[in-house]
Amino acid sequence: MSNPSQTSDNKAEPTQQPQPQKPPVLEEDDEFEDFPVEDWPQEETEQGAAAANGTNNHLWEESWDDDDAAEDFSKQLKEELKKVEASH
Amino acid sequence: MSSIFNDFAEGQRTGSGHRLAAALTPVAPAENPDRLKAFFYFSNATRVASDLRYSLFQATGIRLPKQETNAWIEIFTPYWKAVGEIVRFDDAPSHASWVKVFDAWKETTNMLIRGYSTGGLPAWTVPCLYVVGRYLRAFAMKADAELSSQDSAAFGDRFQDDASTDFRNAKLEEATRVINRMFTLCLSDRASIEESRKWGIYDTTNLLFKSYFKLNSVGLSKNLLRALNASSADLPSMDAFPKSHIVTFKYYIGVIHFLDENYAEAEEHLSYAWNMCHQAATKNKELILSYLVPCHLVTTHTLPSKELLASFPRLEKLFRPLCNCIRKGDLSGFDTAMTAAEEEFVKRRIYLPLERGRDIALRNLFRKVFIAGGFDEPKEGQPLIRRTRVPVAEFAAALRVGTHAEEGSRVDIDEVECLLANLIYKGLMKGYIARERGMVVLSKGGTAFPGTGV
Repeated sequence: MSNPSQTSDNKAEPTQQPQPQKPPVLEEDDEFEDFPVEDWPQEETEQGAAAANGTNNHLWEESWDDDDAAEDFSKQLKEELKKVEASH
Repeated sequence: MSSIFNDFAEGQRTGSGHRLAAALTPVAPAENPDRLKAFFYFSNATRVASDLRYSLFQATGIRLPKQETNAWIEIFTPYWKAVGEIVRFDDAPSHASWVKVFDAWKETTNMLIRGYSTGGLPAWTVPCLYVVGRYLRAFAMKADAELSSQDSAAFGDRFQDDASTDFRNAKLEEATRVINRMFTLCLSDRASIEESRKWGIYDTTNLLFKSYFKLNSVGLSKNLLRALNASSADLPSMDAFPKSHIVTFKYYIGVIHFLDENYAEAEEHLSYAWNMCHQAATKNKELILSYLVPCHLVTTHTLPSKELLASFPRLEKLFRPLCNCIRKGDLSGFDTAMTAAEEEFVKRRIYLPLERGRDIALRNLFRKVFIAGGFDEPKEGQPLIRRTRVPVAEFAAALRVGTHAEEGSRVDIDEVECLLANLIYKGLMKGYIARERGMVVLSKGGTAFPGTGV
């Protein structure tokens, strides 16, 4: 009986770095809530409110990033390229 | 400070379904904490029917057809009993039981359904269905929790699994069957639309969706959708319904498509829910976004902005590391972020679509190679053209950057070609691999990486 538990202890050993704090757990009750009122005017909708604040246009962004230090990447790429060529 | 009888009488007098439904709400309002007690102690089990007849009708002067009058008394009798069981939690807690509350409430619901099908209750009173159905679910879940805690106390932990897995949701399943009859009751109403219970269809459907999700039988939702589709011609358009009904409905439809991996359709419904959601309903907005963000990633390859997630710190924390890695083309960072949040992603059922973000990260990495490649020798008078013939070795080097490859480790060129072929196949990159020359020949004219401007 003691053997299997020992092995598993040993296995657990290397990964026993301080566990990163777990992300906040979704509450048990992750159900869509009842709204306190049954109906509301357009101005009180997310869309209506965002339009009024002028914040409607910046919700989604392109997934790539051009300004992210293109120079650096070029340099890095050249260095790695040497390694690739050296290894073949 | 109005009593249950006042609400009933006022509801009837003014034709307000919501006022009427307030009479059937089994929670005492803050400003009148003794409202339920007052209602329960006004009578006793032997006299309740005649006392109700007096207090609902004779004392208030409300006159309804005989059949309808009797229907209301039949509804309020089990309601009175249910309220008695609720009051017991205050007055004699050791004898109080959610199972008893549920049983009496189920009887109330059955009587209400009968009131509509044979008692001639008019359609303007359907808010009663919403309230009664909502509490039927709530009480069922409390009863199930009570039963399973009794089970584990009675059998000890050893039998807990056997005893509680099978019957864990017995009352909720019972409740769901009753709510299903409410669904039919609303959908099958043949009256003209102004006087139809069809106005209750989405609210009832939402109750069923919630139950099916809780019972882990999302598949059953498809039956509802089929039934709804079949009668869609007879239903008023969505925007004619109250927004609370529609936003909830759209959310669940969106999630159902999402779980089926129909991300484009899911996105459509979830976007609708997002746009029409009440701006102050933070929790609901967070739930919508938690599915909408993965949808956007898959369908339009876009990421949520800082502004979008600013009011949702939990989502910001959940998605931001991943988004940063996608944008930078940081593959190993992406893998780390996926592993770190794996448990939470799986729990929220969003792991699968998020995983597809790796392709986008790879696309961005290879796109950087293309940009870094600069332009071909300019021909006189011609606009600059990017270098579209890129050695495979450069992509291999980029992979080393993206995966933080260790010094001295080798990148397998076959593997690089495989990744390239995959991106091309998925339409994220346009061109072909000229293997014999070790070159990738990319499409000219700003279409090498479709949709990204180059």
